[in-house]
Amino acid sequence: MYGEKAYALVKECANHENSLPPYNASLVQEVSNEIRTLVEENQEDAQTSTEETSDSGSVVSTIRLRHAAVKRNLRCLMAYHYNRLRLLRKMRWEFGSILPADIKSNLSPAEIEWFAKYSRSLASYMRSVGDDGLNLAVDLKPPKSLYIEVKCTVDYGRYELNDGTVLLLKKDSRHYLPRSECEELVRQGVFEHIL
Amino acid sequence: MDEAAIEELELSDAESFEEVQLTAAQVIEMMEEAWVNEKFAPEILPHKMEVVDCLLGQIAYMEENLQSLPSTDFKKSIHQLEVDRLRFLVSSYLRTRLEKIETYVTHILKQEQQRHESKEDLYLSKQELKFAKEIAEALKQNFDGLVSFYPGLPLEEWVSQPVQPNMHSFVFLKSKKDVNEVVIDDGSIATEGESDLVDFREGAQILIAYSSVAGLLKKGDVKLI
Repeated sequence: MYGEKAYALVKECANHENSLPPYNASLVQEVSNEIRTLVEENQEDAQTSTEETSDSGSVVSTIRLRHAAVKRNLRCLMAYHYNRLRLLRKMRWEFGSILPADIKSNLSPAEIEWFAKYSRSLASYMRSVGDDGLNLAVDLKPPKSLYIEVKCTVDYGRYELNDGTVLLLKKDSRHYLPRSECEELVRQGVFEHIL
Repeated sequence: MDEAAIEELELSDAESFEEVQLTAAQVIEMMEEAWVNEKFAPEILPHKMEVVDCLLGQIAYMEENLQSLPSTDFKKSIHQLEVDRLRFLVSSYLRTRLEKIETYVTHILKQEQQRHESKEDLYLSKQELKFAKEIAEALKQNFDGLVSFYPGLPLEEWVSQPVQPNMHSFVFLKSKKDVNEVVIDDGSIATEGESDLVDFREGAQILIAYSSVAGLLKKGDVKLI
């Protein structure tokens, strides 16, 4: 039936609300093919109906149905891609301008390009705020206290604080650090916030 | 808007420490109000970049002062927390706006174009407008690439029916002064004199559809809570 594949595509989005599944190139290709076939069939019918005007009435409804299917398929395609971009946007805020490799491998070339563009626009916007820019990707939560206690989940190595002190971050070590300095590492999963 | 400009002047002219303190508090208050309004209004509001810039200046100034304090000073950590809170206020405000811009990008750009043509003040700041145009362009390219397999397919639908904010959603607000005869917009097309009216008294808290009070909010007669 028309539109079934497109529905599967949208369904995939709904099933992965918070994670980005691999880009389903083959299904997108199939939906595109379906659209192409439908449009071509329509054009053919339109051609013949102008030639034999006597029974054009029967063709019109067929064309309408196909046209509706094309529109629906297009809409599903757009929804699929748009939803992926929204997820990607969320990741830009979480991980910063450099994506983890396992996410990057799930993207289509067009999405990688979009991400680079988005990152660039966002970075240039952040630079233009105030006199010397403002990093909007920090201070995501209202600060409750200046220092927080964190646990290191991986062997991160040396990490230098703003005031010049160098820390050695080992797995399972605990630190009491200024919140502003370790917020990004917490989001990247290097630190675990202990409440 | 004018108030903010005046305050900025006052800030730069202010010589004594006391005066700076006083105006700083007012700036923060204005910023907080703008932030709460932006957070609860469904559509994007006129930008308050003067206040943002002013507060950013304050933050930079405070941070500079903090540098000179020894790190053992108890006062330092308290002030540092205060600075962090202010910075959160500003960045959360800007983030909220960016999020709205991204969600309603086509709709907002169209409205800005109309405002530009009728010589009204734009709602977006210059940088935000640049950002909006860039992401709209990137989105368009992404969609265009999508249908490149068959040229001539109609994609205008997402331009002609863009995502729009729900102007009829309800908001809590507090009136800052007496406002008489606010027309309640219940969605129906009422002729003059038939629609329901309500009077806001100063300090009154009201739950009402956003579309009825959008104008008042932009004028600054009411604030959202």
